[in-house]
Amino acid sequence: MTYRIVHITRYKYHESVNLCHNEARLIPRSNAWQVCKFSQVNIEPLPEEYSEREDFFGNRVSYFAIQHPHEQLMVKVISEVQKTAIETQTDLFGGISWERAKLELLSNKPDLLDARQFVLESPMLASSLTVEQYARVSFTAGRPLLEATHDLMRRIHKDFDYVPKFTTIATPLSEIMRQRKGVCQDFAHLSIACLRSMGLPARYISGYLETVPAPGTERLTGADASHAWFSVFVPGSGWVDFDPTNNLIPSTKHITLAWGRDYSDVSPLKGVVFSAGKHALSVSVDVQRISG
Amino acid sequence: MIIQSQSQNNSTHHLLSGYTAGLPSMDEMWGEQGHLRAHWQALIDKMQALGGEELGQRQQEVLRLLRENGVTYSVYDDPQGLNRPWKLDPVPMLIAKADWQITEAGLKQRAELLNLILADIYGERQLIKDGLLPLELVYNHSGFLRACDQVRLPGKYQLFLYAADLARGPDGRMWVISDRTQAPSGTGYALENRSAMARVFPDLFQNIPVRKLAHFFQALRNGLMALSAKQPDGSRKENPRIVVLTPGPHNETYFEHAYLASYLGYALVQGDDLMVRNGYVWLKTLGGLETVDIIIRRVDDEFCDPLELRKDSQLGVAGLLEVMRRGNVLVVNPLGSGVLENPALMAFLPSISRHLLNEELILPSVATWWCGQPKEQQYVLENLENLIIKTLDRQHKSTLVGQWLDKKQLADLRFAIQTRPHLYIGQEHVSFSTAPSLINGHLEPMNTVLRTFLVAQNDHYAVMPGGLTRSSSEKGNFLLVSNQKGGISKDTWIIGAEPENPVSSLHKPANYARASPSNANPSGVLPSRTAENLFWVGRYTERALSTARLLRTVLRNLNESNGVAQEPDIVCQQALLKALTHLTRTYPGFVDKGSQSRLQQPLTELLSIILDPVRPGSLSFTLKSLFRSVYAVRDRWSMDSWRVIDALEKEWQTLDSKQQADHPEATLRHVQNALDHLITTLVAFMGLNMETLSREQGWLLLDAGRRIELSLSLISMVRSTLVILQEAPAEYALQEAILTSNESLITYRFQYRTYLELQTVLDLLLMDTAHPRSLAYQLVQLQTHLSAFPRNLDKQRLSQEEKLLMEALTKLRLAEVSQLVKIADKATIREELDSLLAAMSRLLFKTSEVITLTFFNHAQGQQQLTLVTPYPEL
Repeated sequence: MTYRIVHITRYKYHESVNLCHNEARLIPRSNAWQVCKFSQVNIEPLPEEYSEREDFFGNRVSYFAIQHPHEQLMVKVISEVQKTAIETQTDLFGGISWERAKLELLSNKPDLLDARQFVLESPMLASSLTVEQYARVSFTAGRPLLEATHDLMRRIHKDFDYVPKFTTIATPLSEIMRQRKGVCQDFAHLSIACLRSMGLPARYISGYLETVPAPGTERLTGADASHAWFSVFVPGSGWVDFDPTNNLIPSTKHITLAWGRDYSDVSPLKGVVFSAGKHALSVSVDVQRISG
Repeated sequence: MIIQSQSQNNSTHHLLSGYTAGLPSMDEMWGEQGHLRAHWQALIDKMQALGGEELGQRQQEVLRLLRENGVTYSVYDDPQGLNRPWKLDPVPMLIAKADWQITEAGLKQRAELLNLILADIYGERQLIKDGLLPLELVYNHSGFLRACDQVRLPGKYQLFLYAADLARGPDGRMWVISDRTQAPSGTGYALENRSAMARVFPDLFQNIPVRKLAHFFQALRNGLMALSAKQPDGSRKENPRIVVLTPGPHNETYFEHAYLASYLGYALVQGDDLMVRNGYVWLKTLGGLETVDIIIRRVDDEFCDPLELRKDSQLGVAGLLEVMRRGNVLVVNPLGSGVLENPALMAFLPSISRHLLNEELILPSVATWWCGQPKEQQYVLENLENLIIKTLDRQHKSTLVGQWLDKKQLADLRFAIQTRPHLYIGQEHVSFSTAPSLINGHLEPMNTVLRTFLVAQNDHYAVMPGGLTRSSSEKGNFLLVSNQKGGISKDTWIIGAEPENPVSSLHKPANYARASPSNANPSGVLPSRTAENLFWVGRYTERALSTARLLRTVLRNLNESNGVAQEPDIVCQQALLKALTHLTRTYPGFVDKGSQSRLQQPLTELLSIILDPVRPGSLSFTLKSLFRSVYAVRDRWSMDSWRVIDALEKEWQTLDSKQQADHPEATLRHVQNALDHLITTLVAFMGLNMETLSREQGWLLLDAGRRIELSLSLISMVRSTLVILQEAPAEYALQEAILTSNESLITYRFQYRTYLELQTVLDLLLMDTAHPRSLAYQLVQLQTHLSAFPRNLDKQRLSQEEKLLMEALTKLRLAEVSQLVKIADKATIREELDSLLAAMSRLLFKTSEVITLTFFNHAQGQQQLTLVTPYPEL
C-alpha cells in the first residue's frame, strides 16, 4: 500500500524577518513495515542554507536558514511511503509477562540497551504517583505485557474524552489526569508515562493517519492532520505500536514520521527568527492512498 | 637588639599560639610529629618576623588592591549588591615538590581518562555497551545533550579545559572531590591572587622557589593555536579569531571573563554579539561582520543554542550547534561536556581506568555509591546518617549531609531515593585536611579545597603549577568552602624550581611569533555591543557632568542669596531651577504641577535630583547608568581609569546612605563637596581614557557620545534660560550663571573683557569654533569622528548620520547672532533663537538614533523569537 503525503506549514509574519534558523522533522523514516520511497522538501523563500542529517533517535532532520528579509515562510514536504502489513504481530494474550519483560531488559544486548533509554523520565514526562496508580490497574501480577498494554489503551480510550483545543503543548500530565480530556498527543504521553511508571520502555511516535470520508461524502484535500501514538518494547519481539486515541493497534493506515522519548524530541518544525512582530501559523496535511 | 629579638619572640608565639589545640584532622602545615612540615618553615619564619599586626595590615592592603582592581565575585540575591569584593587570605597554600609531582601526574591521568569517556559518550558509547558505564547513569544526567551526539573537536582532545577540586584525605593523599568540565572558572582569580600577593608581600617570596602561573596561560594560547591548526580540510588557520563568550555582567564570575579576555587579548562577547550565517559564526563589529574561529565559552552548554538546546535561552547563538557539526567553529569546552560533571561517575572511574588505560587511578576519588544499582542503593539507605547525599543531576543540585538531618528529613530522603534511585548518590563523609588562615592576628586551621586547572596541548595536558585554594568560612566545616557560601581564597604555592622546558617554549608553532601580535590585538574589531557601551559611557559621563555643574551653580546662588534675596536674584534663581528640571527631565519638578511650592522651598527637590537613585534623570541615577555601562565593557579600561571610576562609585554609595532627611542643610554640605569631587573625577576619567583607549578601539565612540550629550545639554540650558525675555539685571545674572555652568566664564572674560552682553555670550556659547565648550566646536568634532567610523571610510557619499550632522552644522553657521537676540513686539521669548535651538536638538537626537540603529543593532533591531509547531489536533 503506498501513500502520498503532503504536509504544508505556513508562517506569516507581521513584520519582515531578516534571518531565521530552523529544524524540521518532516521526512518519514523507514522501518521494518514502511519504506519512504521518496521525499521532497520545498521551502519558500529559498533558504541560503540547507542540510540533512539523522538525529540521536535516527529521525531525519532538515536544517535550513533564510538569510534575507521575508514576510512569510512555507515548508511543504511531499513524501511517498510504502506500507506493508505488520506480520510479526505477537499474540496479545500469550507472550511474556510484564514483570518478565522488565527482568530481561537488564542486559546489555544492543536492542535491549537501546530500549532501556525509553524507560527513563523525559523532558515532558516526569514520573508521578497518580500516573503510576492509574497504570497499576492494568498491570496486575503475571499479566502478559501486551495484554496489559492493550487493557491500558482501552481504559484510556474509555476514561478520557477526545476534546480538541482543550490542551496545549504546555498542559502538564497532571492536568490531563484531572480533567480527563485531551488530544492524541496527550493520550500518547499518558500511555507512555504509565508504561514507564511500571519500569517498561515506551516511546512516542509522530506520524499520519489515513482518514476515510463518511459514505457518500467526497474526500477533502488537506483535511487530515498529523497524528501521534505510542510504542511499547517487548523483549524478544521488538516494538509494538498502540493508538490510544482510536483504541486500536496500528497497521497499514498509520504512517510513522519520527519517534523519540516524547513530543519534544520530534516536534515537526521549530525555529528561531529575528523579528519584532507577531506571527500567524497554518498547517495542512493531506494523506492520499495512491496504490494498493 | 635584645629588645627587638624579644618582641619578635612574642609575636612568634602569638602567630601560632593555640594552632595545634584540637586540630580536627590532618593539617597541611603542622606535621604529625608535632612540628612544622619542612616546606612551611621558611614561610612561617618570614610571617613571624612580620608579626600578626603587620600581616593584618598588609591583608587590608591586599583587599584594598583587589577591590581597586575591581576583582569581584557576584553572589545571587545578595543584599550587599551585585558585586562582592574578592576575599584573599594572606597565608598561601603550600605544596611540596614531591607531593605536587604525584598530584600533577594524577591530574593528567584523570584528564586523559575523562577525555576518553567524553569522546566515547558522544561517539561509540562502547563503555555503555561493554557494561562499564550504566546507561541510566549517563542518560539520566541533564548534561547529556543528545543534540551533541557525534559532534567532535578535531584532534585527540575533546576535553580542552579541565578543573578538579582536590582536598587532602586522612591518608595524606590528595583526593578528587569534584570535576569541572564545562567552563571551569578560577584561572583568572588564581592569577589575580598571585599578583596581589607578589605586590603586597614581596618579602614572603624571597628565597622560596614558587612556581610561576604565567606558563599556564601561554599553554592555553598554544593549545588554542594547535586546535585551530587542525582544520578538517587540512588547511591551517594562521590567525584564528578567538572570542570569550560570557553570559554578561550579571554572571557570578563576570570579572574573570573580562579579565581573561583582556589578559589573553581576545574579544569579550555576549550571545547576541554573534550570529550564524552561511554556516559560519560571525561577530558583529563596528566595521561589519567578522568570522569567528574559536569560542571559549563561559556560558553553560544548554544555553548556547536556542535552536537545538534550551529554546528559552537568550544567552546563546541560534544555529551554533550546526556550525560546530560542520566543523566551521570550534567551541571549548565543546557543548555537552557537562555530562562529566556527574558525581556518580566517580564510582566507575577505577574500573574504566583499568579498562581504557590499564592503570590504577593515581588520585583517589571520594568513595561513592550510585543508587541506580540495587546493592549500592541498599548500602546508602542503611547508612544514610553517615553519608553525604547528592543528586547526579546538576539541575536539582543539592548536597545533603546525613548527620545534619532530623528523622523526618531522613525519611523523606529515603522515600525520594527509593522512588527515583537513579538520580542519587551517597558519598563518604570524609574530614579533609586543614591549612592555616590568618584570623585576628594569628593563624587558625581551616578546611581547604584546591581547584587545579589543566589545558590540552597537541598531545598532552599542561597543568597550572598552582591553583585556586579556598578555605572554609567556618571552622571545621569543609562544605562552606565555595565562594557562593562565603569561602575565602588563598594563593597556592607549588614549591620547586621551574622545569627545564617550561611550556611556553614547547610546541611553539614556527610562525607563532609572527601570528601572535595581530591576534593579541584584533585591530579595528570593536564588537557592536562594546561600541554601544562606550558611546553611552561618553553620554552618561557628560550628562553627569552637566547636571553636576548646573547643580553646583544653583546651590552656590542659593547659598549666596540666602535670606536677603533681591528680586533679580529670585528671578535668576527660579530660572535656573527650571533649567535644572528641563536638563534632567525630572518633571514636574520646578516646572509643572506643584512647582510653585518647590520654587519657594527648593531644597528637598534639589536633594532628590541629586541623590534619589531610582528617579530617572537624577544625578545618582545617571551615575548608576554610567557605572553599569563602564562595567559592561570591563575589559576595555586601563587599570588607572578603572580605579578612578571605582573610587567614585564607592564614594557615591556612601553618600547615598549618608542622606539625612532631618538635616537637609548638613546633607547639602556633604553634597556640595561631593559635586566638586565628582566633576574633577569625571574629567580625570575622560582624560585618562583619551590617553589609554586606542582611537580605533572605541575612543571615537566614547567621544562621539560625549559630544552629542554636551551639545544637547548646552542647548537645553540656553533654551530654558536665555530664550525667555527677562528684566536686564536678572538676564545678566542668568548669563553669568550659564557661562559658569558651561565652564566658559573665564574664556568669556579673556576674550571680550567686557560686561556680559547676550549677543557675545551667545556667540561664545554657540558659534565660536575655537572655544572647546561651544556648540559649534562639539559639532565639528562630532563630524570628524563620524567620518572616521569604519563604515563611513572610503565612501563618496555621506551616510545618514553625516547628513544629519551637516544639516545641524549648516543651520548653526547660517544663523546670525544679531538676529537671534532680537525679540518681536510684545513677544516674551526670542523666537528665532528658540526655533534654531529646537531644530538643533531634534537633529542631534536623530543623529544619535541613527548611530544606534546603524552601528549598534545587535539583532538587526529584532528580537529572538522561538517558533514551535503547535500541538496537532487529532
